[in-house]
Amino acid sequence: MSTDALSDAAGDDPAVGLRAVRSLRELADRLETLQVARARQLGWSWQQVAEALGVTKQAVHKKHGRSS
Amino acid sequence: MFERFTKEARAAVTAAQEIARDASTRTIDTRHLLIALARDGGPARDVLVEAGTDVAALVAAATADLRSGGIDADALAGIGIDLEAVRREAERTFGPDALDRAARRRGGHIPFTSDARKSLELALREAIRLKHRTIDGRHLLLGILRADSPGRELLVRQGADVEALRAVAERPAAA
Repeated sequence: MSTDALSDAAGDDPAVGLRAVRSLRELADRLETLQVARARQLGWSWQQVAEALGVTKQAVHKKHGRSS
Repeated sequence: MFERFTKEARAAVTAAQEIARDASTRTIDTRHLLIALARDGGPARDVLVEAGTDVAALVAAATADLRSGGIDADALAGIGIDLEAVRREAERTFGPDALDRAARRRGGHIPFTSDARKSLELALREAIRLKHRTIDGRHLLLGILRADSPGRELLVRQGADVEALRAVAERPAAA
């Protein structure tokens, strides 16, 4: 399916809008994984990472702690 | 519940976990179960074939769907995001295939989604309703069809007739 055909046919379709939201979440999640790993490699503390992400230290450690 | 599963139905649940690992998905949902049922021989595959489903096409489409990790480039384009541009920038900072690597689980346990768990419960309920003593692939398929699930959506997208599938699956076994 071409992008043009899809946006023409489904500009107002909630299904497409929701798929976009889901795609964004997954994309954000993957970017978070990459960015957190890099910050840790560069010597950032969990506290610093948590503050940058706007979440608690516990939350960020629970989610990413195993990777480094 | 699992003690009432046939060997083949248990194998499908195990295969769903392997499919999740291969496709680097974070969870196991009804699409994984559907791929396992459609790919490996058994009552569920027979039902799909009898109801006119192109099983090979279904498995291919479902696998591609899993590998994309739910990231839909067309849907993103619709809100002004160029996935390829994001991919390029990610690779510039994090190296080749960065986005795909980031999807990879660190190993270990991959949980079933509530959708998948519900479909297994529904399979049990279907078996009780049909007065069958064991739960086989057909019941798992019914569980996927009944829940408003990603597996069902995928079947519908592949042009499957859900009512026809249900009718075939509910028919008493010939054997």
